[in-house]
Amino acid sequence: MIAYAGRVKPLLAPIALLVLMTLLGVLSDRPEPRADFVFVNRAEISTLDPVQMSWLQDFRVAGLIFEGLTRYDTFSPGFNVVPGAAERWEVSSDGLTYTFHLRADAKWSNGEPVRPGDFVFAWRRVILPDGGGDYAKLFECIRGVREFRQWRSDKLRRFAADPSAGGSRDAAAALWQDTLDAFAREVGIQAPDERTLVVHLARPTPYFLDLTAFGALYPVHPPLLRAHESIDARTGLQRTNADWTKPDRLVVNGPFVLDRWRFKRDMHFARNPHYWDRASLNLDTIACLSIPDGNAQVLAFRTSAVDWTSDVMPSYRGEIFAAKQAFLSEHAPEVLRLESRGLDAVSIDRSLPADPRATVHAFPAFGTYFYNFNCRERLADGTPNPFADSRVRRAFTRTIDRAAICRNILRGGEKPAATFIPPGSIGGYRSPAGLLPDADTARAELVDAGFPNGRGFPEVQLLVNSEGDHSLIAQGVARDWERILGVRVRVVQKETRAFREDVKNGRFMVSRASWFGDYGDPTTFLDTNHTGDGNNDRGFSSREYDQLLDRAAAEPDAARRMETLARAEQLLVEEQAPFAPVYQYVQQYLFDPHRVSGITTHPRQSQDLARVDILGDGKGAETPAAMKR
Amino acid sequence: MALILRRLLQLPLILAAVFTLTLALAWGAPGNPLERGDRRPPPEVEAAMRAQYRLDSFWSFYGSYLDSASGVRYVRESLDGTADADARRAAAEGLRPPARRVFDFGPSLQYRDQRVNDILADFLPVSITVGSAAILIALFLGVGAGVIGALRPGGVLDTLSLGLALAGISVPNFIVGTALLAIFSLWLGWFPVAEWGHARDVVLPALTLSLPFAAYIARLTRVGMLEALSADYIRTARAKGLPEWRVVTVHALKNALLPVVSYLGPAAAGAMTGSFVVEVVFNVPGLGQHFVNAVQNKDLFLLMGVVLVYATMLVVFNLAVDVMYRWIDPRIA
Repeated sequence: MIAYAGRVKPLLAPIALLVLMTLLGVLSDRPEPRADFVFVNRAEISTLDPVQMSWLQDFRVAGLIFEGLTRYDTFSPGFNVVPGAAERWEVSSDGLTYTFHLRADAKWSNGEPVRPGDFVFAWRRVILPDGGGDYAKLFECIRGVREFRQWRSDKLRRFAADPSAGGSRDAAAALWQDTLDAFAREVGIQAPDERTLVVHLARPTPYFLDLTAFGALYPVHPPLLRAHESIDARTGLQRTNADWTKPDRLVVNGPFVLDRWRFKRDMHFARNPHYWDRASLNLDTIACLSIPDGNAQVLAFRTSAVDWTSDVMPSYRGEIFAAKQAFLSEHAPEVLRLESRGLDAVSIDRSLPADPRATVHAFPAFGTYFYNFNCRERLADGTPNPFADSRVRRAFTRTIDRAAICRNILRGGEKPAATFIPPGSIGGYRSPAGLLPDADTARAELVDAGFPNGRGFPEVQLLVNSEGDHSLIAQGVARDWERILGVRVRVVQKETRAFREDVKNGRFMVSRASWFGDYGDPTTFLDTNHTGDGNNDRGFSSREYDQLLDRAAAEPDAARRMETLARAEQLLVEEQAPFAPVYQYVQQYLFDPHRVSGITTHPRQSQDLARVDILGDGKGAETPAAMKR
Repeated sequence: MALILRRLLQLPLILAAVFTLTLALAWGAPGNPLERGDRRPPPEVEAAMRAQYRLDSFWSFYGSYLDSASGVRYVRESLDGTADADARRAAAEGLRPPARRVFDFGPSLQYRDQRVNDILADFLPVSITVGSAAILIALFLGVGAGVIGALRPGGVLDTLSLGLALAGISVPNFIVGTALLAIFSLWLGWFPVAEWGHARDVVLPALTLSLPFAAYIARLTRVGMLEALSADYIRTARAKGLPEWRVVTVHALKNALLPVVSYLGPAAAGAMTGSFVVEVVFNVPGLGQHFVNAVQNKDLFLLMGVVLVYATMLVVFNLAVDVMYRWIDPRIA
């Protein structure tokens, strides 16, 4: 028997090794206990550094661990701001100077006080072109920011081009010192004492307090950053070692601290013992799981592994939303009665008998799905562009059967859109009507433009990226255009990266697009159509439109400013039509309204997750939150 | 010994060739690595970032990536005082110095808080766990089916195992995975959905991943067994009165397994670097998803990192197979 074992040994060695590796792997990776509130973010977050944040999923998690000067009251119809790290503020009568008074008990998670200098430090990081912030443009309402950025960019360019300076550590350090001096001198952000932050604006910005609640304006802990920053001798750039956001290093000032972060697996949060407003919190621990697959997300919710799924996107979502509609129509009289009392959608669900179908929700979102028309005189290949004519663009816009797209393809509660800015999402703003579908007017406009019945119109190329429902929707739109306008349409599908390259470089006739707003002001949408704006993929340029935006920017009266902006949007969606709105996005959530409270139905779609309450767990307020009236 | 040494000396050359080819292909692919989703940074920021990540030219990126991934930069910065300066600055703020890595694969461009090294350290062990379990299952299923089939070629069991092997190779992973999920998790409720961390969470992903490998091993074993069983030494073994099970398991199987052993190298490397489909279906935090996502996002640092790891594993496993070969069959040396 011994001899037998000896001869087979070589074959047993790899098997033993495999068994060992499997066992080691399993034993070294134990699961965590379930958190009080577990949610699935709509996608993996890209960063926790406020400079680099760009996506809803990033801001959602950042809102748990950071707090700006102000924060949003997510259950007020106007999405108002309430005091955050600042306990109060004054605005000068010309609207140009904001003085924030920081609360004495605003603390970092290491117990140190939050100082106004922390905001100056954090905002400077976003404003500097070095760090790659997408949101530096938001700061251009502050005095000196635009000039400072220009100055710094010029200096960096010259530094890199200068062979005597480039590569020298001393020269790089000197440039950095100059930069700090220039910032202190030129930019209107000052900390006169240990509790006061003064901001001087370049122009009145009625939504500035909304901005100070936004993630790009969160403070950071300067000592932590200083330990992770260095000046690159070759380029003169300030570089940040990304390790500072790791749980064992990160210092935050928000309601929760980051306990554990396993990239693309989960994030665990625990209460910040130094947070000033601990009384408003209803949870001890929060977990955010990474589940990229839509079907797996729904299964995780159904097996109670997850309390809130923040984006329901399996292929059968049409069926689950139909089930919710069926549930609501079974209780139609009651629903009507509750609606007439002004209750929000979740409160209505909560007033009805518990039912698994009631866990599905579709709330309007702060984004619009549309088709870009290339507005340039000539197409990328040099041929004349029929879409340079606004009559053609209006004709194509009027021919899209948006309601059919929502009803037959999307089936997730989406609403047909006629405007760019989702109606009702911004307090004090009245949306224009937009162009409604009208086949006769559309045909007449095409005749005026010289293409009766589509004769002489070149083949329309409709560019979409090959993901999700884009191609299905495009085929529906193409059929509408062919049937009503008599043009030939070809849907061109491209892989997302190649699609984006084409769109950004103007290599398209018509292309799919979408836009989500960042802050509570119409300019978060409208600016993207300003001549030369980085997000103006359409190449649209209208002097009248630009002048309206400029006039609004200089308008001191808030109501008149909103009117001017509404006129600008009207010019876009009713007259110039550089794009054709298709539908307004919805947020598709799964959560049990009888168990989870604190998820708002507001179209601004930011959620104050730190103040979510699990009803019936004996912790926190235990009274369901509802939209204020 | 000479073989091992020679192969290990070849490793850097192979890696350099893989690196050069892959980077050239990835560099030429459409897309801007600094774009995240459909957001492109403002021009001045993009210029700064191109300078920071050395994306301004192919050779500049090539050189700087090789510099840090090969460990040369680590050594240089240890010698010229840069590392000390960083440590001092951190100490001045009362903090631990930033982590340093000998072989630094750089940051992920898409997930800016993550270093490629950390991603590999987090995800590779999971993939190795699932991959090892899958190869184990594949060995047992495959060798078992192959031996049974070879004992009575053309019999019912042989036809059955051949049919199963064909199905194992041709039915795609996402169908097998979804079916297993539907049967064992949703219907029978034996395994949880979309969970990772318990021993039981390995079973279904490993089983799904193992089937194509098992099918291939079954066919290799069957052919090897058929050949071995008709060989002269088997007749001798039977003639001297050895029991049949001994003839089959010791004398025939040992030689029949040689092709299986040589297949194990690339199979193990393939299984242990993760499978995108299996990871998505079972929500396994493995490395396979990064292969796909890094290409889609044009995340050059991450892409080069996973490719280099895969190439290394392939070379090392093949080397291990060659060593085993000599051990089993001294004639090869």
